[in-house]
Amino acid sequence: MSTERSRIPALKDRVMENDWIRFLISPGLGIAWILLFLFLPMTIILVISFSIPGDYGNVIYEFTVENYRRFWTADVYQNIIFESLLYGVVVTLLSIPLGYTIGYFLGRSKTDWKWILLGLVVLQYWVPFIIRTYAWIIILSNNGVLNQLLLGLDVISSPLNIMYTDYSMILGLTVSLLPFMILPVYVSVSTIDEDQIHAAKTLGATDFRAFREITLPQSMPGIVSGVLFVFIISAGAFLAPVLLGGPGTRMIAPVIESVFIQDFNWPFAAALSIVYFGIIGFLLYLFNRRVDLEEALETGAT
Amino acid sequence: MATESDHATTGETGADVERGYFGITLASRTKWNLIRAATVVGYVLMLLPLVVIVINSFNPSRLGNFPPSSLTLRWYEELLADTTMLRALWNSLLVGISAAFVAGLVGTLTAMGFVRKDFRMQNALVIVLLSPLLVPPIIVGVAATIFFSQIGIGRSLGWLIVMHALLGLPYAFLIIRSQLYLFDETLEEAAQSLGADRVTTFREVTLPLIAPSIITAMVIVFVISFGEFTATQFWVKRTTTTVPVVIFSMLRTSISPKIDALATVMLVVTIVVPLFILGIRRYLLRN
Repeated sequence: MSTERSRIPALKDRVMENDWIRFLISPGLGIAWILLFLFLPMTIILVISFSIPGDYGNVIYEFTVENYRRFWTADVYQNIIFESLLYGVVVTLLSIPLGYTIGYFLGRSKTDWKWILLGLVVLQYWVPFIIRTYAWIIILSNNGVLNQLLLGLDVISSPLNIMYTDYSMILGLTVSLLPFMILPVYVSVSTIDEDQIHAAKTLGATDFRAFREITLPQSMPGIVSGVLFVFIISAGAFLAPVLLGGPGTRMIAPVIESVFIQDFNWPFAAALSIVYFGIIGFLLYLFNRRVDLEEALETGAT
Repeated sequence: MATESDHATTGETGADVERGYFGITLASRTKWNLIRAATVVGYVLMLLPLVVIVINSFNPSRLGNFPPSSLTLRWYEELLADTTMLRALWNSLLVGISAAFVAGLVGTLTAMGFVRKDFRMQNALVIVLLSPLLVPPIIVGVAATIFFSQIGIGRSLGWLIVMHALLGLPYAFLIIRSQLYLFDETLEEAAQSLGADRVTTFREVTLPLIAPSIITAMVIVFVISFGEFTATQFWVKRTTTTVPVVIFSMLRTSISPKIDALATVMLVVTIVVPLFILGIRRYLLRN
């Protein structure tokens, strides 16, 4: 028996060190994939952002800071990035109370429906963004479902103009991104030991105090993860501003797209991408100093 | 704040003693009802739009009078006759399934490497692996397009598969790694001390134990690939276009219930296919 035991580590070492399995089973392949298809392209657009635009998307490799000077001197692009971040903040702030309430309900509820309700959130998560976004066009437009119903019921006399405004865009984004808040909050809340809450109440804590001192702190990992995903996705949203937003709605993703596709100005599109990514990266850096970024990503993605 | 268990103890089975013990009041029941009401509102907001799309896809009126006075399959017939759309659907399925296999394979090997080996800078490398979650898709789209065009590779389904695998890789990695953390490595050692070689051990012991998580990971990658639009819009040409891109260009030209029909098909694929595969997974796990 003792000889068996001493053989085991040796066997394990052989598996990991002596053959092709060792070569394949390594972080190398995944890391290489990311480096090749994400980091290298990002490096290339960094280079191109310092180059001169040619015709039809061509790039003249000659050093210039003109693209960044254009960003810096024309207020419009700075304002657009600022507004994108602002929309991101608004959507995040709206999704916290609603998403938290639903996640809390799912985490605490003892109803038989719970698994179905959870399944519906996961399904919602699976539904492509374009479909979730498009649905709001049918519902909110002037001859849409909502207006037809309200007119039919004589609640209103003329159609509400909600579609193609900031409101329709914010509504569409908030609802689309709710699952990103609900699921991690649900996970956090459902792991809280209910005895702690009962104990607190037994000792005289009010419902609110028990919530504030036990439930809320322990559900913070879920909220943090939700905030991370909802903010990054909403600030960088493309479909919602294009399909639901109004003429005054300006966000960075559609602007990068039109510089890239319509103007065919690749270096400037690259410069805008780099600036925006730099800002997001800086925010993530601040975020990572307060909470564990990796943990937040894991909570949100699994 | 109120909880369901508070609520439950005030129910028929709840003893009055407990009621006093836990400090249950009518107020906490009211709070719980408010939470429930907010949840209902949230679900209505999330699900109603999808229900409307499905109903509208059978709507005979082009302008979409709602609710429809009768139902028709006309838009589905038009869909079946539209070769561009069938092509897009085929492309989407092909890219989604291929990306799922690629990300499943790369994700499995990478996750095993992370869990089984010790090396420096593990934490930093995990962030590298998760970075596709942090870069906004519009930037991934632009960067990859410039990258491929600078090295002279034209748009193709292969390009789409490679990039969709990249976007799905963080999810695949996390899902498979969390299963590996639960894995009992002594099982492998046992198999080998009983004489199994390394390949047999991997095939007979390791793979069956982590297979459920690999299947889950592949389903998630498929779903991500199937619905991805923002980056994908830059990566397709006419013959490699995918369903979300087609829906988007239809939305720009004319809105008709045909879009709802295509969206409904997409809904069915993105929900039924994963549920079916996860159902098989569950069946396999039982046996």
